[in-house]
Amino acid sequence: MADLKLNGVGKTYAGGVSAVADATFEIADAEFIVLVGPSGCGKSTILRMIAGLEEITEGDLQIGGRVVNAVEPGDRDIAMVFQNYALYPHMTVRGNMSYGLRNQGMPKAEIDTRIAEAARFLQLEPYLDRKPRALSGGQRQRVAMGRAIVREPSVFLFDEPLSNLDAKLRTQLRAELKDLHKRLGATFVYVTHDQIEAMSLADRIVIMSSGKIEQIGTPMDLYTNPASTFVAEFIGAPPMNVLQASGQAARELLSLAPDAPADLGFVGVRPEFLKVGDTGVKAHVTLVEPLGAETLVHLALGPDKMIMRGGQDHVFEAGSEITLTLAPSDLRFFDPSGRRISAA
Amino acid sequence: MVENRPLATVTTHVVLILGIVFLCFPVWVALVASTHPGEALARSPIPLWFGTQAVENYTQLLTAGVPAAGGVPLATMMFNSLIMALGITLGKIAISLLSAFAIVYFRFPLRMLFFWLIFITLMLPVEVRILPTYDVIASLGMLNSYFGLIIPLIASATATFLFRQFFLTIPDELVEAARMDRAGPIRFFWDILLPLSRTNIAALFIILFIYGWNQYLWPLLITTDQDLYTIVMGIQRMVNVGEGIPIWHYTMGTAILAMIPPVLVVLAMQRLFVKGLVESEK
Repeated sequence: MADLKLNGVGKTYAGGVSAVADATFEIADAEFIVLVGPSGCGKSTILRMIAGLEEITEGDLQIGGRVVNAVEPGDRDIAMVFQNYALYPHMTVRGNMSYGLRNQGMPKAEIDTRIAEAARFLQLEPYLDRKPRALSGGQRQRVAMGRAIVREPSVFLFDEPLSNLDAKLRTQLRAELKDLHKRLGATFVYVTHDQIEAMSLADRIVIMSSGKIEQIGTPMDLYTNPASTFVAEFIGAPPMNVLQASGQAARELLSLAPDAPADLGFVGVRPEFLKVGDTGVKAHVTLVEPLGAETLVHLALGPDKMIMRGGQDHVFEAGSEITLTLAPSDLRFFDPSGRRISAA
Repeated sequence: MVENRPLATVTTHVVLILGIVFLCFPVWVALVASTHPGEALARSPIPLWFGTQAVENYTQLLTAGVPAAGGVPLATMMFNSLIMALGITLGKIAISLLSAFAIVYFRFPLRMLFFWLIFITLMLPVEVRILPTYDVIASLGMLNSYFGLIIPLIASATATFLFRQFFLTIPDELVEAARMDRAGPIRFFWDILLPLSRTNIAALFIILFIYGWNQYLWPLLITTDQDLYTIVMGIQRMVNVGEGIPIWHYTMGTAILAMIPPVLVVLAMQRLFVKGLVESEK
C-alpha cells in the first residue's frame, strides 16, 4: 500500500504545448481520488504520468516515498484499467489476467490461486476460458479490473473505465467499484469527465480546467463551497446558477442579502436553495421538467436565466409567474475573475 | 441478396459453370496429356480422356528426368523450388515483420527516412536491378547456391508496408497495457503482435510462396549447376527442346507437378486465412 505525492508535476510537449502545469497534491494511502474536468483539461495526462506512460517534464512524482519519474510502468507497483479495456484479443480471460504475472516469473500455483480469487470476486468464473470477443461490455470491463486486481498493486489507476458502458451498467459497476475499493484497501486514482461519477465515488475530488487544478476537496466540500465559478458550474446537475453581479437577476437576489461583499463579479446559488415564497423576487417560469421526486423549473428574470429544483409540494406551470425567496447564507460570491470571495 | 427466381438461379449457375469449364479446361488437357505416350499428342484429335501411360510418365519424370531436356529428375527440381520458395516466403515475412515493428514502435533518428527508403524499393524489382544484384551475389560467392537463389529476393517493401499498416491499427492502449504487464519489446512482439498478425501472415504466406515458386529469371541467371535448377526452369527447358521428338506428355506432366505445391499451400492456408477473417471481429 502506498501514498502518492505530486510535486509541481507538469507536462510540456515537444512543440511547447503545456498539457499540465504545476500539479501539486498528495494522495493518502487507501484513498479514492477522482480527477475530474472537461475533456482536454489534462486529467488523463496526470493519470498517464502517474502510470509512467507519459514522461514527466517538470516536477517529481513519488509513490510510497520513492521518486518514480524514471521508473518503467511495469515496475511502479501500479495497475491500470483503460477506457476501452485494452484486453489482449487473442488470449482467454485467464490468459489476459495471468499475462502480467507470468512476465514477473510468478509460480504457476500462485497465479492460479490469484486468478481463482479474482474471478470469484468479479463473478467471472464461468468465463475464464473465453476470449474477450465472446464477452459483453460489462464483462470485459470486469476482466480488465481482474487483470489489475491479480497483480495486487498498491495503486490502481482508472482511465474513464465506465464511459463505454450503458447507463444502467454504469450505475451497477460504479457501486461495485466502490465496494472493490473498500475490500482491497488500495489507493485508487480515477479519471472521469462525469461529475456524478466523481461525486459518488470519491473520497476527494481533484477538479481541473485547462491544465490547472481548480480545487481539491471532498465531494460535499466542492458542492457547497466551490472555489471558482468553474467548479460551481461543473459540479452538480443541474449546475449552480452563476449570475453576472451587474445583471438584473443578481441585483434582485442580492436585495435579499444585505451583507454581500463589495467588488462582486458573480453571484451563485444552487437550484435547490431557490424556494417559492410569499415575498421576494418575481420570476417567469419558461419551462418545466418534472422528474418525479423533483421538478426542474427554468426561470427567466428579465434577460437572465436560472434553474430551480422544485419539490412535490408546488405545481409549476410554464408561462406563470412565481415569487422566489432564499436564505442569504445560500448565496455564493465570486470576484470578477471568478474566484470565490469567502463569506464575510 | 435473397431472391427466389428460378430463371435467375439457372442463369447464374450456367454462367458460373461456363466460367469454371473455361478456367479448368487447359488444366484438364494438361492432366490428360500427361497420361498418354508422346505420339498420341502429335496426332489430331488431341485425346480428352486419360491414357494408359500415367505411371510410366510420372515415374520417368520424377526419378530420371527427360534426357532431351537435361535429364534432371523432377524430384530434385521440385525440392530446389520448394527450398527457394520457402526461404523467400519465411525470410520475407520475418524481415518485414521486424522492420515494420521497428518503424512503428521505436523512435530512432531518421525513422521516416528509413521507411521511405524501404518504400522506394517497391520501384526496384529484381528485373530492374538484376545486373548489380548479380554482381553482388557473384562477389559474395553465392552463385549456384540456395543462398544465392533466396537472399536477393528476401526483402519486401510490400510486406513491410502491409505489416506497418496493420500495426498502426492496433490500439495504443494495448501497447500500454503490455507495458504495464512488464512485457518488454521482444515479449510484446512475440506474445501480442505476432499472434495478432496471424491472419496477415497467412495471407502473405500464400502470395509470397507463389511468388517464390514462380521465380524464373533470377534462378535462370545464377544457376549453372543442373542440381540447383528449379521446376519452372525445367518446364521452360522442355518447351525449348526444339526439333527433337515432341515431348508434350512430359511437359504437361511437369506443369501438373509444378502446380501441386502452390495449390496445397493455398488449400492449407486458406482455411486459416478465412478463419482469421471471420474471427477478427473486435
